[in-house]
Amino acid sequence: MGQPRELLLALVAVLAISGLYAGYANAVAVPAASGLLGHSLGIVGFTLMLMTETLYSLRKRAMRRPRGSMRAWLQFHIFTGIVGSYLVVLHSAWSFNGLAGWLTFMTVVVVASGFIGRYIYTAVPRTADGVVIEAQDLLVQLDAVRLEVSQPSPVDASISPVAARSRKQAAARRLRDLERQMAALRWARRTLATWHAIHIPLGMALFVMAFAHIGAAVYYATLLR
Amino acid sequence: MRRPLGCLTFSALVAAILVVLAVLAAAAATGNGIFSPGQLSGVTPGGPIGGVGSHADLGARCDACHAVAGSSDRMGYRCLACHTQVRNDIESRGGLHGRLLATTTNCRDCHTDHRGVTASLTLADPRVFPHEQTGYTLGAHRLREQGGTFGCRDCHGGSLTALPASTCIACHQALNPPAMALHQDAFGAVCLNCHDGVETYGKAYDHATYPLVGGHAGAPCAACHRGATTPAALRATPTECVACHAAKDIHQGRLGASCAECHTTDGWAGASVNHDRTRYPLVGKHVGVLCESCHVDRHWTGIGATCRSCHAAADPHAGKFPGDCGACHTATGWKDATFDHSKTVLPLEGAHAGPTCAACHTNGTNVGAPTTCVGCHAAKDRHKGALGKDCAACHKATTWADVSFDHTTAAYPLTGAHLGVTCQRCHVGGVYKGTSTTCAACHTKTKPASHGGAFGTNCGSCHTTKAWLPATFDHTKAAYPLTGAHLGVTCQRCHVGGVYKGTSTTCAACHTTAKPASHTSSFGTNCGSCHTTRAWLPATYNGPHTFPMDHRGAGGVCSTCHPSTLASYSCSQCHSDSSMTAKHSGVSGFSLTTCASCHPTGRGGD
Repeated sequence: MGQPRELLLALVAVLAISGLYAGYANAVAVPAASGLLGHSLGIVGFTLMLMTETLYSLRKRAMRRPRGSMRAWLQFHIFTGIVGSYLVVLHSAWSFNGLAGWLTFMTVVVVASGFIGRYIYTAVPRTADGVVIEAQDLLVQLDAVRLEVSQPSPVDASISPVAARSRKQAAARRLRDLERQMAALRWARRTLATWHAIHIPLGMALFVMAFAHIGAAVYYATLLR
Repeated sequence: MRRPLGCLTFSALVAAILVVLAVLAAAAATGNGIFSPGQLSGVTPGGPIGGVGSHADLGARCDACHAVAGSSDRMGYRCLACHTQVRNDIESRGGLHGRLLATTTNCRDCHTDHRGVTASLTLADPRVFPHEQTGYTLGAHRLREQGGTFGCRDCHGGSLTALPASTCIACHQALNPPAMALHQDAFGAVCLNCHDGVETYGKAYDHATYPLVGGHAGAPCAACHRGATTPAALRATPTECVACHAAKDIHQGRLGASCAECHTTDGWAGASVNHDRTRYPLVGKHVGVLCESCHVDRHWTGIGATCRSCHAAADPHAGKFPGDCGACHTATGWKDATFDHSKTVLPLEGAHAGPTCAACHTNGTNVGAPTTCVGCHAAKDRHKGALGKDCAACHKATTWADVSFDHTTAAYPLTGAHLGVTCQRCHVGGVYKGTSTTCAACHTKTKPASHGGAFGTNCGSCHTTKAWLPATFDHTKAAYPLTGAHLGVTCQRCHVGGVYKGTSTTCAACHTTAKPASHTSSFGTNCGSCHTTRAWLPATYNGPHTFPMDHRGAGGVCSTCHPSTLASYSCSQCHSDSSMTAKHSGVSGFSLTTCASCHPTGRGGD
């Protein structure tokens, strides 16, 4: 499992934004959702959220001409998902009324869902260099180790009985690891499928509500001035 | 087939549709209330308007405030539709909102809702609120005496739109109790009647003792009431302009201390300047010209008082007259020039004073004009040049006729009566040269009859130029030279009737009166034989006188012997009758009257 660099960056960004926000709130006032700063928070945040969804989804399906690694795009997805949603929460000006309140709530829910998904994703077995081990490779390795374990100990003068026993034990240990990895992989795939079935509709609901909110805001606050 | 977006799963699309339906349902159920960003305010700062106590009473009636999209209606109009008092203030430019209209035109700039039931509708930030537009500036209420900045509620404990005087007094009393007590005694306790927050007085203060109008209206109080902190000091403020403005007197005191004679309180500019008080009173054409004509760029001082200060660029003489224009011109107009020609080589006298300059200064030249008479008058020389070019030798500048020819230098010097006659009497037709010098050339009239053609044409032999008469005939050259008493008689005594020629030269021709009895007939008509022209007497008898004229003491005196007439004699003067009678008693024929018969020589022996 690699270093959670995207989380660290997101944390730094959130802290920096929080500092600026707190400074402004202290010096002037909590930026109203309808003010220039409040609207800017909402617009930038929502744009980041929209990007995190659409660009990541496009990359996931761009098999023929891939641009960047999936891992990098996931990091981008996580970073923008956290920072964008945080800006959207700040846009609320801590007022949660009507549709806008539900929208804020949904944002928090989807982000929380994302965090859960992210940690389910980490359960997927990886090689030492972090590449996800595909089930087929695992099965091949598993078969090889099983074969090794099932075979009787070879009579080899060059190998002491102690060493032979030790190799046997090591093979048995690797077999257990591989079986555990296999079980984990199956669990992870099953759980991820379930999570996707929940996270994606939640995200879709969030975006639909966001567009409704934007439409209403434009209608009431802009067209009806 | 792969979907371009991973989110477009079946479940996601179902979720999206469900959310849309839910939003629509919620919107319908709440009257679009789900789009409300917050609850409407339930604060009721004033009484209910149209039955609505607060915005919260409006509930879900979004259209009460929000206009329909696409219409010309505006949210602000909806506000004013209910808040009529505010609308009236705005229309009349009065009240708080009428005054604030100068900085904002949208209700939303200060008032907003959906911030909760207890939230205030007013978002005015006290730090940026234009409080001076309420008629009271917070310039002097920035920092509180006890520290910190002023907040709205420090003064507006109750309504934000009201300020009870007690609030002011409570603080200011604590700051300086004696001064406040004195102040209230003098001015009363309604602070806002006078104060507008600038520092002391406001517009409403009755400044009747010195009405603040024009530029004074907006002046800070301390500009005049310098350091005055008591009523007495305020009242003692001088009212003269110079008391405050002397330091900035651009005239530097030259125009005196009565600023109001020219300036008004409307401003220093636009002064009705009494230019007579300056060093350059305006007269003639200078009256009425724009101030800026001379005071270029509105520089009011330092303008020279010479004509050239302003007119140098428009000098038609092209600098040929280096002196000041005022030497010739006056302010009544350039054409009204009075050039002092006496300072030139040709002072204008007599008739020269009358004509226009252009009569001599042709072609517009003012210098270099001829200075000789002929320079101008040659074309009209009646003498055709015969008398030379020096006209001034005879003529004066008064008129051509006013000639002052020095006839003494001429061939015929004028004397006597000739000095008084006009030139034309002799120089007929203006012809001067060749005029005859004989008397008869001019005196052509027939000589008087008295002359009888006897005298020649040389009048001067008798007459002088002084007058015809008296003539001074030289009788010594006549046939009868005058001597003696004849020299003293008038000509007419002899030349009776003015007849000179043929006058007899005999005495009797004139002395026609009867000879004296003494003469009897014994004397002839030749009076000159005895008398001289000196006088009738003494006469010197030159005729035959047998008896010695020097007889004894007679001495040639006729009357000694001829006491009564020359034709008779008497000796009794010396020889008494009685003695002669006695002596001649024996002489026969003796008679006292015939003595000479016997004594023809007068001697006794005869």
